[in-house]
Amino acid sequence: MTAVTLVLLPLVVATVLLFARKTIVARAIALIGAIATFVTAVLLPGSDAVQVPWIPTFGAFIAFDPSHAGGVLALVASLVMVPTVLWASLRVESNTGRFLAALFAMWSGLMGLFLARDLVLFYVFWEATLLPSLVMLGGWGGPQRRQALLKYLLYAVAGSFAMLLTIAAIKPLAGAESYLFADLLAASVNLDVLTQTWLFAGFAIAFAVKLPMFPLHHWLIDFHEQNHPSGAADVAGTLYKVGGFGLFAWALPLLPEGARQAAPLLLALGAFTAVYAAIIATRANHLKRLLAYASLSHMGIVAVGLFGLHLAGLSGAMYLLAAQMVTTGGLFLISGMLHARRGSLDADSYGGIAASAPALAAVTLLVLFASIGVPGLANFPGEFLALLGAFQASTAAGVLAVLAVIAAGVYGVNLYQRLYQGPQPNPVADLRPLEVVVLAPIVAATLWLGLAPAAQLRVFEADAIITVERIEQAKDGVDVPLVAVGEVRR
Amino acid sequence: MIPADGFIVWSVLAPALTLLGFAGITLLLAVFQSDRGFIATVALTGVVSAGVFALNLLMQAQGGLAEAGFGLRYLADVPATAFTLVVLLGTALAILVAQGTLGRMGLDHPEYYPLVLLSATGAIVMVSAGDLITLLLGLEIMSLAVYALAAWRTEARQSQEAGLKYFLLGAFASALFIYGIALTYGAGGHFDYAMLMAAFTQPGFEAHVTALLGAVLIIAGLGFKAALVPFHQWAPDVYTGAPTPVTAFMAVVVKAAAFGALLRIASTVFASLEVGALGALLPGVLSVLIGATLIVGNFGALLQTGVKRMLAYSAVAHAGYLGLAVLAADQAGMAAAAFYVAAYTLMSIGAFAVLSALMDDDDGGDGIERFAGLARTRPWLAAGMAVSLLSLAGIPPLAGFVGKVLVIQAAIATGHAALAVLAIVTSVVAVVYYARVVVAMYVRDPSGAARTPERRTARPLGIALGIAVVGTIVLGLVPGLWYGLVDHGQNLLVFVSLR
Repeated sequence: MTAVTLVLLPLVVATVLLFARKTIVARAIALIGAIATFVTAVLLPGSDAVQVPWIPTFGAFIAFDPSHAGGVLALVASLVMVPTVLWASLRVESNTGRFLAALFAMWSGLMGLFLARDLVLFYVFWEATLLPSLVMLGGWGGPQRRQALLKYLLYAVAGSFAMLLTIAAIKPLAGAESYLFADLLAASVNLDVLTQTWLFAGFAIAFAVKLPMFPLHHWLIDFHEQNHPSGAADVAGTLYKVGGFGLFAWALPLLPEGARQAAPLLLALGAFTAVYAAIIATRANHLKRLLAYASLSHMGIVAVGLFGLHLAGLSGAMYLLAAQMVTTGGLFLISGMLHARRGSLDADSYGGIAASAPALAAVTLLVLFASIGVPGLANFPGEFLALLGAFQASTAAGVLAVLAVIAAGVYGVNLYQRLYQGPQPNPVADLRPLEVVVLAPIVAATLWLGLAPAAQLRVFEADAIITVERIEQAKDGVDVPLVAVGEVRR
Repeated sequence: MIPADGFIVWSVLAPALTLLGFAGITLLLAVFQSDRGFIATVALTGVVSAGVFALNLLMQAQGGLAEAGFGLRYLADVPATAFTLVVLLGTALAILVAQGTLGRMGLDHPEYYPLVLLSATGAIVMVSAGDLITLLLGLEIMSLAVYALAAWRTEARQSQEAGLKYFLLGAFASALFIYGIALTYGAGGHFDYAMLMAAFTQPGFEAHVTALLGAVLIIAGLGFKAALVPFHQWAPDVYTGAPTPVTAFMAVVVKAAAFGALLRIASTVFASLEVGALGALLPGVLSVLIGATLIVGNFGALLQTGVKRMLAYSAVAHAGYLGLAVLAADQAGMAAAAFYVAAYTLMSIGAFAVLSALMDDDDGGDGIERFAGLARTRPWLAAGMAVSLLSLAGIPPLAGFVGKVLVIQAAIATGHAALAVLAIVTSVVAVVYYARVVVAMYVRDPSGAARTPERRTARPLGIALGIAVVGTIVLGLVPGLWYGLVDHGQNLLVFVSLR
């Protein structure tokens, strides 16, 4: 029941917020709602799975299971949502209640899509989560928001409909009993290689849009640039980059043969995305564009980890996905805090503010370092394992992806210098108490994910083994002992 | 229970007879009563009572006790009663929309409601027909009333043109249809579907070419009413020219009736012709028509600037999605179509209701500027429109999404993967034109010149919108409520009788 509560509670809060006329009331409701939802999320690990028939004749269930990779992601996403809600309630001045309602609706949708164990249910949450993110962009975005919105919508829906086709086809073609993951997994062995490849293509398009991955990433940059300058909507958008999760949890295990056919191409695209985006990030001036490209580069690394189709890479990719929720999300919040001080998101209008705002500088440095993959901080374990997986599949892709990590060092350190060092023309205020409260969970999560990765990795590996075993079986029809895996885990 | 010829089973006829009776009552009332609201209420009472009868029949059929009248010429099995219910739902909502707008437009002539009821009676006869002559009767009863309704705004050229165009082309389509019936009769020697099936599947049956030609002409005749490309030419003009409440009625009820009839014939008579050298002809013809409908409907809608005309083209496009279910023409296809048509009725009426509330009294002012900033000026109307349009676009968790999955699944399961892909690709186009309106409502600022008229939404219109929107959401979240009722195709009477 915890899982159901976690999905429904934010939705209830969102509904209540719609009717909150006064900003102060909305803030109070949001704060209480955020804490309550987070507490529910903390109770998630170890709670029971839920499975109730939903559309019996159709074979769809309302099925949630927190014990899989999605459970970990749901917890981390909830952890990031708490400061985001808090920050949004402080910084979004017009129609605060409505904005917070959209944020909570997204929270609910994300929980649903991470926890769903029925493909139809997953799709419903996948698509429904789009609506609040559109509402935030359309209602509170910048002057070019209409174009950004239509672009985002078009990419997202085109991708989703490709997946819809796969979903509609997979059950009748495989002869599965229902859309439950377990049933589809058992039945999908009936699909021949060609069918699997086609079905996988449907998934791959949808997930490549939401990963996002070159050449389907164009929406991402405008999306971030045009969203509300507080950065709250960007954090929600970052959490909603669930393409990697979709591949990991659905496409790869269900269609291993198809994945094997498509992997070389997608591996190359992933590696290219990582380098391409990182190089553009080194030249970017607009803070949010820079973060968007940086995040795109991380997604490229997630992709190479996944399409290496090895255990280390698969679980590493999921770990990186979870970690970048915290780090990229944190950086978007920091960009919002900078905007609150100077009213600009242009990196050039800052400089030398470390002297007047040392605490802000320190937190930025920590999160930025975590983001570029410094060991001991959040992104490192995932990035390392994902790259390891890439090298196991193809040295060339691995080398290319490592270049992205080097470029990340360049834009990361460079950004810190441009923002915080050098001569200081105008001092700015240091972190206010409320901002400390907002950033505290981000810092804590950055350290937690960096220093204690074992428990989460175990969950990811338990899922990834299904995929790896099926791919090995497809390759030569025998079970291969997973030696390399044990090495990595230690 | 299948009664002998000549024995009338009144319960089977109850929905159609009730509507017919109420059409007479409202017509009489119209002579003495000046209160149009009262007449509309009486008409609604008739629709609801007919709905009770139909629901009762559906429950019975679902329990395996499907009935029929006049041999197998008038059916009350699951698909027939399900489509009857959808027709009644569409009629009821269209009456509410009309009640809320006709007065304001100065079109509140008392004959409106009797004509609507008569047309709905014909629609019910069409979806219940188990015989080509019964089908023809239903088709004509329905169409005659709609011809008059399309030209309802007698002083406007557009509306006159709509009525005349619909009548002329409709007469032509009827002629094709009747010719098709004649050829089919010539080939099979019977009018009722069951006997035709038996004749066509008999060993030694030779007249395949005649039968197929008849089938193609029947497809053309029904395809006209369903607005399948290339028989759709009338639809955009007639839909745009007719007063908006009439358009709403046409878009849902006429379409539901045409598809109910087409599905029935496709799953029985046509299916029995899919043998031999020319067996692939009918599915081939249908696939081409449906593919063309999907493309023309969606791209046509994309090019429109007026919202009413956009909805007209979108109605053509939805005929394509429903066509996928016709192509599947099996139990899953029947159930999928019955679901889709219900979802389509709700979401279309929702969109047309908002459109009726916003348009000028002379049916002008449906440009997209009218919707700019609507979310700020009329938040409830905007929300209703958004839900309806998103559902039409197939965004979950709304009813249109479930319908789309069902029909696409049915098409894939029967081996029409290419059409399914086409349906998805064109759906992406559809999202663009629906989203344009939603974006205008929620992102753009209210523009000065094209401002929404400051008027209160009439209560009946609000009720229709409320029912449509709530229905769209509920059917999306709990599709089993309706799908569970209609997914019992094994009770198809015609099949039962053949065993």
